[in-house]
Amino acid sequence: MKKRFSKKRNHEPIDVDITSLLDILTILLVFLLMSYNASDLTLDLTSKLDMADSNAQELTKFAPVLQVNKEAVVFLNNKPIGRLPASGSMPELTAALKNQRAQTEQTNKKIRTPHKLELINLVIDKSMDYSVVQRVMHDSALAGYSQFKFIVKGNY
Amino acid sequence: MKTGRKIKKIEKLNLVPILDSVFIFIFFLLMSAQFVDVYEIGSSLPMTQEIEDKKDKDPLNLTLEVSKDQVVVKTGIKNLRSRSFASTQSPELTNYLRELKASNPKENTMIVKADPKISFQSLITFIDNTQGDRLKKEKIFEQIVFDNSGVGK
Repeated sequence: MKKRFSKKRNHEPIDVDITSLLDILTILLVFLLMSYNASDLTLDLTSKLDMADSNAQELTKFAPVLQVNKEAVVFLNNKPIGRLPASGSMPELTAALKNQRAQTEQTNKKIRTPHKLELINLVIDKSMDYSVVQRVMHDSALAGYSQFKFIVKGNY
Repeated sequence: MKTGRKIKKIEKLNLVPILDSVFIFIFFLLMSAQFVDVYEIGSSLPMTQEIEDKKDKDPLNLTLEVSKDQVVVKTGIKNLRSRSFASTQSPELTNYLRELKASNPKENTMIVKADPKISFQSLITFIDNTQGDRLKKEKIFEQIVFDNSGVGK
């Protein structure tokens, strides 16, 4: 009696049609290439912060990131420093920036291409008054940061 | 008599290596993808520098006083000239700055004195208007210096 399932099967390699997969990959590749950004700055926005819209096209550069949100809370490299006072300067901010500058100086000794010591990135909520920007710039300048880069959202 | 016809098999392309490289490329692009386009506008603090007193030409000393309703453009030191533009007249302002740049091609700096009460977005929009057509990579007065005199007192 012949066994029912004893047929020898031919193990030929199966041809998988990968044309559709390749199509998807090509589309994905084009989409990702369009959204590629060569900037060396990684920006993690804090909550309650809307960036200002601009036509600017200059790529961001690596530097300490100072953020001020809608509630006037100041963050340096995503660490909260405190709330900006209604008027006058903020000594905590100047102290934190001086500390940051000292850290950058230490790091610069170890790396081949040192970071600019006087450069700072400012991310300020678009609804804030210019007086807030002025005071943040003033406190940054007291800590030795004299070149400000306003980080904005491209809207073209 | 048998004819010696050979049936040619079409060889399939080996796509495995290209697929490997595409996958690696996709991971690299996914890691570096930024879905919000972020750019920067540069500015710096006022610096002082001693220059030779050239009596033949008055320096441009371009100063823009920005308030909610208008922008006052002031030029010169010895012969002070000023012109006002309403906040709605941004194309006229840009054209005037283009004229100033054409007559002073070596000048690259503008001093911005802004009203402390204007919003940050208004200031950025004003700066955009003074920078010309960025899509054509036009540059008028690139170097922006903020006059923050009186702050911190």
